Amino acid sequence: MDLSQINKNQKAHIKSIHAQNTLKKRLLSLGLGIGKEVEVVETSLQKNTIKVSLGYSSIALRFDEAKLIEVEVA
Amino acid sequence: MQKIVIALVGQPNVGKSHLANAMSGSNLKIGNFAGVTVEKATARLKTEDFAIEFIDLPGLYSLEDFSADEKVTKDFLQKGEYDLILNVVDSTNLERNLMLTTELMELQRKMVIALNMDDEAIKEGIDIDAETMSKILSVPCVRVSSKIKTNIEMLINQVLHVTKNEFIAPKLVYSDEVEEQLQTIVRFLEDKHFTTPHFSNRQIAVGLLWQKREIYALMHEQPLYVELHPILNNALGHVYMYAQSEDIEEIINRQHGAFSAGLSAEVLHVTKVIRKNLTQTIDAILIHKLLGLPIFIFLMWGLFQLTFTLGRIPMDWIEASFGWLAETVGNTIDNEAMKSLIADGIIAGVGSVVMFLPNIMILFLGIALLETTGYMSRAAFLLDGFFHKFGLHGKSFVPLVTGFGCSVPAYMAARTLKNKKDRLLTMFIIGFMSCGARLPVYVLFAGAFFEENMAGNVLFGIYITGALLGLIAAKILRVSAFKGEDEPFVMEMPKYRLPSLKLLWFVVYSKSLMYIKKAGTFILMASMLIWFISSYPKNSLIEEEYTTKIEALQPSVTEEQSNSIEEVTKTVEEDKGTSLEEATKALENEKREKLMEHTYLGMIGRTIEPAFAPLGFDWKMSVATFSGLAAKEVIVSTLGVLYSLGDGVKEDDGSLRAIITANISFQSAMAFIVFVMVYLPCLAATAVFAKEAEETKYTVYLVIFTFATAWVLAFITYQGLMLLA
Repeated sequence: MDLSQINKNQKAHIKSIHAQNTLKKRLLSLGLGIGKEVEVVETSLQKNTIKVSLGYSSIALRFDEAKLIEVEVA
Repeated sequence: MQKIVIALVGQPNVGKSHLANAMSGSNLKIGNFAGVTVEKATARLKTEDFAIEFIDLPGLYSLEDFSADEKVTKDFLQKGEYDLILNVVDSTNLERNLMLTTELMELQRKMVIALNMDDEAIKEGIDIDAETMSKILSVPCVRVSSKIKTNIEMLINQVLHVTKNEFIAPKLVYSDEVEEQLQTIVRFLEDKHFTTPHFSNRQIAVGLLWQKREIYALMHEQPLYVELHPILNNALGHVYMYAQSEDIEEIINRQHGAFSAGLSAEVLHVTKVIRKNLTQTIDAILIHKLLGLPIFIFLMWGLFQLTFTLGRIPMDWIEASFGWLAETVGNTIDNEAMKSLIADGIIAGVGSVVMFLPNIMILFLGIALLETTGYMSRAAFLLDGFFHKFGLHGKSFVPLVTGFGCSVPAYMAARTLKNKKDRLLTMFIIGFMSCGARLPVYVLFAGAFFEENMAGNVLFGIYITGALLGLIAAKILRVSAFKGEDEPFVMEMPKYRLPSLKLLWFVVYSKSLMYIKKAGTFILMASMLIWFISSYPKNSLIEEEYTTKIEALQPSVTEEQSNSIEEVTKTVEEDKGTSLEEATKALENEKREKLMEHTYLGMIGRTIEPAFAPLGFDWKMSVATFSGLAAKEVIVSTLGVLYSLGDGVKEDDGSLRAIITANISFQSAMAFIVFVMVYLPCLAATAVFAKEAEETKYTVYLVIFTFATAWVLAFITYQGLMLLA
């Protein structure tokens, strides 16, 4: 299951990130580390972008990028 | 006095600039705000024995070359000359901020950690034990608040203390398995008595294990690399085995993550749990599925209203005062040419720049608010879907919106885009967003060819059409010139924060100053040039010819008047008077036109006329487009001069409108509007573009692209309308 499939207000744990090197580094440095718990807070109208919250911060990402993040529903 | 250079490093939105501001007191000289500045900016503080210089580096999430901003910071940290790293950390988001801190600790430089936003943390029930943290890391940690200025003094003292004393290596520990491997490498290097000036052996060991390119390049050149290689291979093999992963980035991230989490757990105490913070509540409305976009559009509309309505008020005052200045100064100069240069060239030139300052300031304030409050990332979030369809990035909206005000700051605002292609693409279409300087041209033509009640809608239509053309152009450029992978859209949504008034004032002040400095020099030079080529060479033959003609009129007036008998009614006399006045005026105008035709500008007009003929432009319109390169407002005054009304004709001058309606066909006029809408904004903007684009070829492309597009679109407009007519 990937992050794009998670419904609004649902929590999940990050299992792995399948992104390419640069993007992966970026996601990791933003706090989207393996094992972290994330919650999908908002999705935009045409399901283009999603907002997830993790710990004390919120991250916005495109659905295409969310698809690269494998998660497990908490 | 000893000089200390401090590098301020931290993640975006942690308040680095604000802290530098608080530390340097009134000696503030920072120009780096909210990700807009790529260059480092400095502020100075003088204490009794030291002159402290702050280098406010762009914010970054990790020491990777993800964006232009981040590369600047990383390069500076690795190669720049500085005495100390002041790592600014957001206390309300400690764990993630510590990830960067661990990377900074790997640099093995003198360091002080500022746990900023302490006031906010206290409010949220977050308590950080700075003393324990200092002990664990061997790096002084100070809880500060740049907002309410707590512990600033203590922070400065710590900075001075660390600078004065010997370097103490920060204590960053990895997992036992990794430490074991690092020890093996360090031992090997020590056995070989290996030393380098820039890195310690532990640093080299870490760099090798973490597969950092720079360290590899350095070590590869060493003869001992032959022996080092198998040791390193072995060490890596062990690390991979322990971590059960062969992805080094993931391993590093886990190591840093574990350290940050462990440290966080040790020093962070949360005393109260806030279920939903204010940011989440505001976000529930502002990025709401259905409400988000309408709210955004309303906010943008409001910003434009403010920019154009509020900005117009001081505009008139500024215009009037420059007019007064030109007249007053002009009257004190006897030399005719000198007087003209100073009054018509220099003062008018500077005036035309300063006139737009109120609009620019309002727009800058609006954009500063968008950035500092944290709304910008929300707008990007909302717009990314729509923009992405046209090959643009969600973040492109800021420079594009700025482009409606002036292209100069818009090009600079494009710096927020990380990916170079996205940045260039955005910069290429900024010109399609009609800038404020084009407004006078539109007003003139819309007023001349459309009914009063329609003119406003036409104006609005022009702006919308421009923006739509820009989106289409973006799509075309995206699939042709700027092909390549899309920049991924991943961004932090910072907390909503109210910026301090001082900060807002500073943004507006420093950017306005930059605008005056940069645009002022170019527009000044351009207007002097236009003044020169439209005044020289002087043609005394034409001058004499018309002077005689006008004089010839005068005696006939007196003759006729003396011949006239009393029975001629006063009305007739008045009629004659006006017609004579008109005749004189007509001759004056004709003279000016003839003179103009023989100036360099006139010659240029004649030369370039054939190129514009298919668009339905006569030589005067051609010249106007040419002079409009200096600044779009110049188009109106050029047309005024060329259509024999003398200089200083304003867009709302009914007579110029009438003459334009009489002299220019509807088709030509529409083609002219389209041309003005699309071609190069102005020389000042082009110069800024050249600086921002870095490579000269892009500036050449921009010039060719905008002119070609403008020509083709104007051609289609003219020929299409001719067919319809």
